[in-house]
Order: sequence, then structure tokens, then C-alpha cells
Amino acid sequence: MNKIFFILIQLVFFIAVAPLLSGLISKIKNSLRMRKGQSILQPYYNLAKLFSKGEVVSATASWVFRITPFIVIASTLCAASLIPVFIFPASLNYLGDFLALIFILALGRFFLALAGLDTGSSFGGMGSSREMFISSLVEPVLCLVIFSVSLRSGSTSLAAFSAVGAAPVTFIIAGAALFLITLAETSRIPVDNQETHLELTMVHEAMILEYSGRSLALIEMASYVKQMIFFLLIAQIVFPVSLPVSVNPLQVIFWAIWFLARLAIVAISVAVVEVSVAKMRLFRVADFLGFAFVLGIIAGICAILGV
Amino acid sequence: MLNLFPKQFFLFDPLALFFLAVIFIVSLPSAIYAIGYFSPKANPPAAERGEYSPGKITLSWFLLVIFILSMAAVVTAANALIFLIVWEIMSLVSYFLVVFDTTHEKSIRAGAIYIIMTHIGTAFLIAAFMMMYRHAHTFDFFALKNACQSIPPQIKNLIFLLLLVGFGTKAGIVPLHIWLPYAHPQAPSHISSIMSGVMIKTAIYGIIRFVIFVLGVNSSWWGILILILALISCLVGVIYALMEHDLKRLLAYHSVENIGIILLGVGLSMFFISLNLPYLAVFSLIAGLYHLVNHAIFKGLLFLCAGSVYKATGTRDIEKLGGLIKKMPQTALYFLIGAMAISALPPLNGFVSEWLTLQAFFLGAFKVTGGVKLFLGVCASLLALTGGLAAACFVKAFGITFLALPRSNHAKAAQEVPLAMRAGMFFLALLTVIFGLSAALIMKLLARITGSVTGIDISNMGFSLNNFILQPQAGKGIYLSPALLALVLIALGIAGFAVYRLTGRKKAVIFNTWDCGYYKVDARNEYTATAFSKPLRIAFSFFLLPYRKTQKIRESFYHVKSFTYETHTTPVFRKYAYEPLVGLVMRAAKFMRRIQPGSIHLYLLYIFVTVLLLIIFMNKF
Amino acid sequence: MQVMILFAVLVLTYLMVIAKRVPALIRSFRFQSFFLFLATLLAAFKEKQVELYFVSGLIILVKVFLIPHFLDLMARKIKVDENLGLLVNSQLSLLAALLLTYSSWALSRNLGFGQGPLQLAAVSVAFSVIFIGAFLMISRIRAFTQVVGILTMENGIFLFASAVSGGMPFLVEIAVFFDVFISVIIMGVFVYRINKLFTHIDVNKLSQLKG
Repeated sequence: MNKIFFILIQLVFFIAVAPLLSGLISKIKNSLRMRKGQSILQPYYNLAKLFSKGEVVSATASWVFRITPFIVIASTLCAASLIPVFIFPASLNYLGDFLALIFILALGRFFLALAGLDTGSSFGGMGSSREMFISSLVEPVLCLVIFSVSLRSGSTSLAAFSAVGAAPVTFIIAGAALFLITLAETSRIPVDNQETHLELTMVHEAMILEYSGRSLALIEMASYVKQMIFFLLIAQIVFPVSLPVSVNPLQVIFWAIWFLARLAIVAISVAVVEVSVAKMRLFRVADFLGFAFVLGIIAGICAILGV
Repeated sequence: MLNLFPKQFFLFDPLALFFLAVIFIVSLPSAIYAIGYFSPKANPPAAERGEYSPGKITLSWFLLVIFILSMAAVVTAANALIFLIVWEIMSLVSYFLVVFDTTHEKSIRAGAIYIIMTHIGTAFLIAAFMMMYRHAHTFDFFALKNACQSIPPQIKNLIFLLLLVGFGTKAGIVPLHIWLPYAHPQAPSHISSIMSGVMIKTAIYGIIRFVIFVLGVNSSWWGILILILALISCLVGVIYALMEHDLKRLLAYHSVENIGIILLGVGLSMFFISLNLPYLAVFSLIAGLYHLVNHAIFKGLLFLCAGSVYKATGTRDIEKLGGLIKKMPQTALYFLIGAMAISALPPLNGFVSEWLTLQAFFLGAFKVTGGVKLFLGVCASLLALTGGLAAACFVKAFGITFLALPRSNHAKAAQEVPLAMRAGMFFLALLTVIFGLSAALIMKLLARITGSVTGIDISNMGFSLNNFILQPQAGKGIYLSPALLALVLIALGIAGFAVYRLTGRKKAVIFNTWDCGYYKVDARNEYTATAFSKPLRIAFSFFLLPYRKTQKIRESFYHVKSFTYETHTTPVFRKYAYEPLVGLVMRAAKFMRRIQPGSIHLYLLYIFVTVLLLIIFMNKF
Repeated sequence: MQVMILFAVLVLTYLMVIAKRVPALIRSFRFQSFFLFLATLLAAFKEKQVELYFVSGLIILVKVFLIPHFLDLMARKIKVDENLGLLVNSQLSLLAALLLTYSSWALSRNLGFGQGPLQLAAVSVAFSVIFIGAFLMISRIRAFTQVVGILTMENGIFLFASAVSGGMPFLVEIAVFFDVFISVIIMGVFVYRINKLFTHIDVNKLSQLKG
């Protein structure tokens, strides 16, 4: 019972904080571009607006289109509940481990791609095709990252690598590879551009082009949560910190601040990368992910050497 | 004295019973499906495909029964000679079933390629069995097992390679897979599902029985060789599958890929046996066998669905389909379940077996020493790559076939298939879900089977925490619970739906697709399957070697009357491996033909000279 | 006496080899069979076995009268060119026949048939008749020679059997004769049909049927 309560609190935490990360990233991008830009809380306003709007569904779409937002939000939140944030190490999570995380996220992506094809618009098909292309090339790199992290920490469980202490070299290199993967999976420049709706440049946006109203709100929420999951993973891998064991209030507050600060550091680095480089051509993404693969192999070698 | 007459015909040890169960799980729904497949209601006049006469239908039932019985005999044979005999019967009967549609000349060509490849494999098997017989002087499995412990290592290696090639042609390991994409599409759909779901698994049975049980694994390079071959099969299978637009050929290439995944488990198990790591050996073999039964179920289901699509529309080309989800809702649902299973999405059975295989790699990497760790890690990542590519392929297959608008009149005229066909598909879809949710129970069964095959004592090995949670290695905190996952996903989905309903009262408005404001959206606007797989075609162009053919017909310098554009991928194995080999054989045969000029006198001369020589050199013989 | 008969058989075999026309071939075969009849009669006198009389009677009936008569009938009915197409011309054929005789003598000596000088001669003559019969089949174009070649070989085998063991068992001989007779009739019919269809009996042209 205790565990379920903590999982629920964790989910609420994710839902509450995830849009804030996106807002933070756009605020930093804008300030780097010497503009005032939108406020940090803008994603919350967007979601509220979307929840209050009516919805238009295409006549060619079937029940797959209608059911996809629920499957996407369910799979993303399920993945979010796997990562130990509030769950103390004594209580282990029986749902799955690091490997299961990939597959659960794949469930949401599968249905999103199907929904893109469902409406019969050419943008949707294009987005689905590109998204599946990028994600299938991301999978081996992600597997290598998990491999090196788990080899170094001794197990593929998500609680294991937070108990390591100071970050070993393996974790830093694996974190770098994971950073590149995050850029691909969360549709950030140089792989994809979240701010555009041009045919040449959109991948994720193209799949969800036909969604509107509350369904779109659910899907946007899911993509914020997924982004937060990846940022959290990077933060845990690069700055591992053990979870608070005692209930000393000062320690808990200190831990909470450090927790949020780590997330903010990752967000700022993503924002800086987004501003500094240009979006790549789609077929160059394979080379980009190939570089990430090499980083993953180096991380694996470091893990074998035990550094 | 040839010890030919066997003391025992059939052997019912746990491995044989497991394979018997697999055979019947897939054959029974396919047989029920076949009742509907041949009925007149399944052949609406709008689409054209072969009408079967009642005599031919009876013949096909007869052949089906013999086929299933021969496969059952293959997995329960207790004697190598009986094994060979029923193996041959199985191959012959399946040949007749493949060329069943004799009006199509493609069927005949497919059957020819199939029978030639399978006979080459059987020749290698006979060679291997003969070598084993020379040492053991008997064909009985248990006696062979005892005798094989004293065979010198070089002979053992040779026997292993012969067995690998022999069973590899039947299983479809690259580069011996070339008959699969020809034979499986041409057979009637319930036969394709049995062939792809069960028959190629009998080859895996052969490998497990003859290499692990009878021969006994001592060298670690055997396992590594199988791992490498399996990985190549995975990648080649899935990349070719991505480029296919014939629904059944796509599924046939996926069979090649999944045989690779099964062999990854089996090869890992052999590797760990040779390194004396019993727990890991049992665990990887469990992963391999679990994927075997899962693949049988969901591949059988997918082939039955493909057959339903073919029956309803008359074509297998997905570029001409579309919008079938509205016309054939049940078939679409079953195909979706099969597609989710083969893409390893939770909480279905494909997810569990692929997770188990990945865990086998990881746990093995923790235990072994040295550079092999990295090898196992890279293998695991390539397995993840094939999983991702398979998901991409099935998004394409399901999306273009069933979703959006119909792309041709064939698809517009589709109707739902009769009840018998739907019943067969429903049963297999139900099994897909059940085998996913009850993973822990199935692992207990598989543990017992693995223990009996490898001879390892499994009484201390526990693979699950309780009946719902899997625990590959105690003490590391790794868990997986498909049942709990399913519960959590459904609960969160319902929560999302509740949020959806609570935040607004307006119903959704149904209108045309927006498509960026383009107002004339019809079937020609949709994405095509070729376009869907183009990024992957370019990414893997070093292997696929695509080329294009264009043709412009002009009426005048300014007016182009027509422009044809074709894009092809080079069939690498056919072009660079098989065609030179076949050409060589043909040239040798033509050369030998010169001794046969058709003149009676020359033939008589041959006869008399031979008799003369025989008489003259009589003492030498 | 026996040596004379053997010698006559050999000479007639050579005559068959150098024969250039169909009637000549059949005539040589007829006389060869006649001398075979004489040899059997002589053996019948010596051994005083009734069966041998019967066998010699059969020989003269079947091989000297019936079969050559039948072959002549066929030849007239078919109305083909009387030329017996020679793949190897007659001088070379004679040389080849001489070579085959020498090799049959060497063979019978190697096989150890030298119990009596007569036996060696008889066995070598028998072998040479067999070989020359085979040679006839190989080196002649018309289908007739195939038939005659088989008959000659059968003669040679009969000679061999009688030289080595004093004749085959009676029933076997009857059966063989019957076989030979029937097969000649069948072959004759075939040759007739072949001629009707193709209007020639050149066996060489069979190679046109090659796929």
C-alpha cells in the first residue's frame, strides 16, 4: 500500500514538473537569442487552453486514432513510474527494469506512428516513417548505454546505478551517449524541430498534426513526461546521488533542491545545444546516431575495464 | 550387421512433448481456419483468385493431416533413421502443399527452389548421421549420446558443421534462407502459417536434440558461430522485410529474423554449456524456447490474417490496400495484436521473450571474463536494432494495409471473412495475450524441459518470485511482471480517459482530414509503402544496393508523354551467391553432356568397352 | 574335323564383317548357323545324347531356315537400299576383326581355358564371334545389323557354352531359342514400323531426337 501511494505521488510530481522543463528550455533559448520570449509557465497555459477546446476528428480515422492518446499517456506514465525518485531503495519496483523501460516507451511510439498513418494525410505518413527510422536507429545505442551502465553497477535495475556514488568514467561517457539519444527521442535540434510545422523539417509534429483539443493535450503531456524521463536518466547517470534514507527534513530539502538543480543543468545544456547547431538532414541522423553508437562502445569498454 | 531395426520408435521426453504442444497449438487453429478458407463464402466474385474443386479440397485435407502427423513424428522419433524417414516425408508433403495452386507458375517455381534446398539439407544430415553411426554402430539416440562422448574433437566439429548446414537449410538461416521468401507466400495461407510457425521450428528441434543432447557441446566456438549466424539472419531478414510490399513475403522474411532470435538463445546456451555456467545455460535456452513458442503463435496468427486479407481483396500487394479496418474490423484487430506481439510491445508474449533474451546477454556479460563481454553487449544492441526495425516494418504493414483510405477497387470491395477463419485467428490472438501474461508459469515449465535436455539439475534454480513476477537472477533486484504491467497500463489508460471526459463536455466533430488545409484529400494523397521505407532503404543502401530504372517517352522536345520510374533493391544473396553457383553447375552439366551425342553406336561402344575392361581386369576386383 | 568347323565359323564371321549388302550379311549368318549345326551334330554323335540331336534340329530349323527367311522377307518388304551403311569401311573392319580375334585368343589364354588345345581354340573362336558381333552393332548404320549382331552374339555364346561345359542344360537351350526367335520377330516388326514412319532405317539419324 505504501508503495502504491509513493508511485502515485511520483506520477503527480512528473505531471506537475514536466511542462516546467519545456518552459525552462524555451526561456533559455530565447534569452540566448536576445529575446524576451514567452514565460516559463507557458506550457501550462497551452495545456489548459487545449483542454478547454473542442476536437475535430478526421472522417477517415478509425478507433486506432481515438485510442492512441490514452495508450500514449498510459505507457509514458507507466515508464515514469519505473524510475525511482520517491521510492526508497528498500522497496523495489516489480514492474520492470531499465530494459523494460525501452519497450514500454516503444508501445507509445508504435501507436503514435499508426495514428499518423490513420488519417490518410501525407504529413502523417511522412512523420511516422521518419519517426520509426530514427527510433529504430536509437535502439542499439540505448541498449549499449544500458549495457555499460548496468555492467558497471552490477545489475539492470534502475535503482542500482543511483547507488554508485561519484560518477565513474563509464557513466560520464554513457551519459554523453544518452544525451545524444535524448536529442533524438525528444525531438530536439539537431534531429527534429519542435517549433516548426514545415514539411521538410518536422518529424514528431507531423505525426500529431491531425490531433486537436483534449487528445492533443494528452499527447503533449505525454511528450513532456517522456522528455523528463530522459532528462532524469541523464541526471541520475551523470550525477548519481543516493536517495534519501532518513526523514531528516533538512536533508530532504537539500536533496530536493539538488534533484531539481540536476534537471535544470540537463535542460540548460539541451537548450544551449539547440541554439548552437542547425538541424541536420534526415539521412545524416544515421551518422549522428552512429557517433552515439561509438560512444556507447567506448562506454562499454570502460565498463569492462572497471573504471 | 546393420543395426537397423529400432528397439523403440518414439520417445516422449519433455522436449518432444513441448514441441508436440507447439505443433498442435498452431495446427489446430489453422485447420479450423482452413474450413473457412475453402468455403464458397470466402471467395466473393469481386476478386479473382483460384477456385478449388471439391476433389482438390479433399486432397488438401488429406495432405494437411499427413503433414501434421509427419511433423509430430519428427519431434518424437527415438531413432536417427526413423527421424530421417519422417523428415523426408515432411519435406515431400510440404512440397505438394506449396505447389497446391498449380495454376500459378510462380507456385511451381517456388516449389522447385524449396525442394532442391531442402534436399541439399537432408544430404548434409545423412552425412552427419552416417558419421555418427560409424562410431556408435546404432541409430538410437541414447546409445548415440553415450558413444558421442568418445568421438575425437575434429570429427565432432565436422559433424556439428554438417548438422548446422543440414538443419540450417530447413530453418532458414542466412545464407540458406533463399527458399523461404519463395515458398511461404505461394502456399495456401493456413499451410503458410503451419510451415512458418511449426515446420521451421522442427529444424531448431533438430539442432537442440542432435547438438546439445546427442553430440554434447565442448567447444565454445560452436556457440559463438551460431550467435554470429543468428545475428546475421536477424539483420538480413528484417532489412529485406522492410523493403517488401507483398504481405506474405514480408512475413516470410520476418520468419528468418525470428529464427535468428531463437538461435541467439540457443547459441548462448551452447556457449554457456561449454564454459560450464549451468544457470546461464538453462536461462538462455529457456529464452530461446520461449521465443520459439511465441513466434509460432504470433507468426501463425499473422499468416492467417494475411490470408484473410488475400481472400477478401484478391491481392497481397499492400500498395493496393488500405482502409480495411473499416471493412474487416475483426481481422484488423487480430493483425494488430499479432503486429504488437512481433514488435515486442508490452504486455504481449513477444515482449517477454525478447526481454528474456536480452537479459540472457546481459547476465552472461556480467559473468564471463574478457573481451567476450563486449561481444555480448554488441550482440544485445544489434538484437535491439532488429527489434526496432521490426516495429518499423509492422507499423508500415498494419498502417498501409488497414488504415486510411482504400487505394484501389480491390480494397474498396473487401468484406469480412467467414466465421471459421475468424475463429482460428481469435484463438491464436487469445494465446498471444495469455502467453504474455502467464510468463512465470511458462518459465517453470520451460525450466523443466531445459533441465532434461541439457542434463543440468534445475531444482535449485528459481526464475520467478511468484506466479506473476519474473526474476532472472536473485539478489540483483531485476524484475519483470507482464501481468502487473498490463494492469498498470490499463489503469493509467482509464485514468487518462477519465481526465479526457472530465475536462470537457463537447463531443468531437467529425470532418475531413486537415492535411494543412488541402481540400481535395483522397487515396492518392496517402503515403505509400515504398515511401515509408525509403529512409531505411537509404540508410542500409550499402547492403541493399538499390538501383533505379527510368524511362521517358517524349512526343516532342517540350512534351513528355509518359515517365516511368522503377526502384529496385538488388537481391544480394541470389545474385552473388546462388546464381554463380547454379551457373557453375549448369556449365559443368553442359560439358558432361558431350558424352551423350544421341548415337546408338557410341552407347553400344560404351557398353562393350566397359564389359571388356571389366573382364580383362577381373582379377583386380 | 572340329577344328575345320571352328575355322569355317571364323571365316564366315569375317565374311559378315566385310559384307557390303544386306543379302550378303544374311547369307553369311545362315551359313555360320549351319556350321554351328554341324558342330552340334558332331558333339551329339560323340556324346550320344538325344537332347543334343534335338538341339541341333532346333538350330537348323530356327537359325538356318526360319530366321534368315524372315529377315529376307523384311528386307524385301522394306524396299530400302540394299547397301549396308558402313561407319568403318570394310578393310578397316577386317583389320579390326583380326585384332578382336587376337585379343579374344589372349583373353581366353589369360582366363586359363587351356585344358585341351581344342578347348582353347573353341573358346577363343567363341569370344571372337561375340566381340565381332558387338563390333558389327557398333559400326553399321542400318538397323538390320543390330538384329544380326545380336544373333551372332547369341551364336557365340552358344559356342562358348558348348566348348566349356558341353552345352547348357536342355531347358535353358529351349528357352533361349524361343527367346531368340521371338525377339527377332519383334525386332523385325520394329524395323518395319521405323521404316514406315521415317522412310529409312538409319540409326545414325536417331541423334536428331536429342533434346
